[in-house]
Amino acid sequence: MAKGGYLGEFEHIVLLTVLRLGEGAYGASIRAEIERVTDRFSTIGAVHATLERLERKGLVSSWIGAPTAERGGKAKRHFKIEKAGVAVLKDVRMTLKRLHAGLSLR
Amino acid sequence: MRPPIVAEAIVAAVAPPGDYESIAGDLHEEYLRYACLSGRRAANRWYWSQVLLSIPWMLSYSRARRSELHAIGIGLTAVGVLVAMLLATLPINALLDAIFGSANWPLFVPFGAYWIDAAVFGAVLALIVRRGGVRIAFWAASLLVLAFAVPALLGFPSSQAPVWAWVLLGGTVPAMCAGAALYQVVIRRGVAQ
Repeated sequence: MAKGGYLGEFEHIVLLTVLRLGEGAYGASIRAEIERVTDRFSTIGAVHATLERLERKGLVSSWIGAPTAERGGKAKRHFKIEKAGVAVLKDVRMTLKRLHAGLSLR
Repeated sequence: MRPPIVAEAIVAAVAPPGDYESIAGDLHEEYLRYACLSGRRAANRWYWSQVLLSIPWMLSYSRARRSELHAIGIGLTAVGVLVAMLLATLPINALLDAIFGSANWPLFVPFGAYWIDAAVFGAVLALIVRRGGVRIAFWAASLLVLAFAVPALLGFPSSQAPVWAWVLLGGTVPAMCAGAALYQVVIRRGVAQ
């Protein structure tokens, strides 16, 4: 388990979304993808606060891109999942698999 | 097309140091997309809901890594500003006594005077700390409210006060934040231009 311990539910969703988006992962795209896939309303503040927490735990890293006109001349912060982030996702998936084993959800 | 200017100003005031550009840019980008898809009014509503619901999140973290010494310095500065703010109520009281007569103030007078006092000292705090002024003002004013509220909740008789006094005290939190925000927005706009 990476430093920082277990993932919260929203942290899990955000981390998976960063992985799904690959090189196109930044605040707005992550927020929109979460809404599209989970049908769950999320705010840009919640997404950025969670990304900062994941970065502090060493699960993602970020860097600032160039400012663009469609963003009112403001720069993007891009995100990338780190090896520790992938390891935590694998760990969570295995744990959930073990917990689901033999259970009927009817 | 531009997002609502007041909502933009709130983001400028509340966004964590180091993340303002990315948050404001993300909101701007999605605002334009919404405006193309659903029209300007729907986009404005979306922008406002995003900003208002993001405030607690934006106040909850910072990308600025401060040393412990720096954090202690900011804490002491905030306490000093709170003490100065409370001391400033003494001449304010004397002035109000001179104008309205002792203890005969209309109820709106202390509200206006003390909240302006809080806003001015919120701006002073933002001026001193330079970065993250609104969040520091928020936590400082909340600390002040707690300092009065905890003894009252524990039942100390000397801490009991009428409801209007608690409203007055509670109002110092948004007042201090508003003062700090006003200062910060002016500075950020100045930096941006």
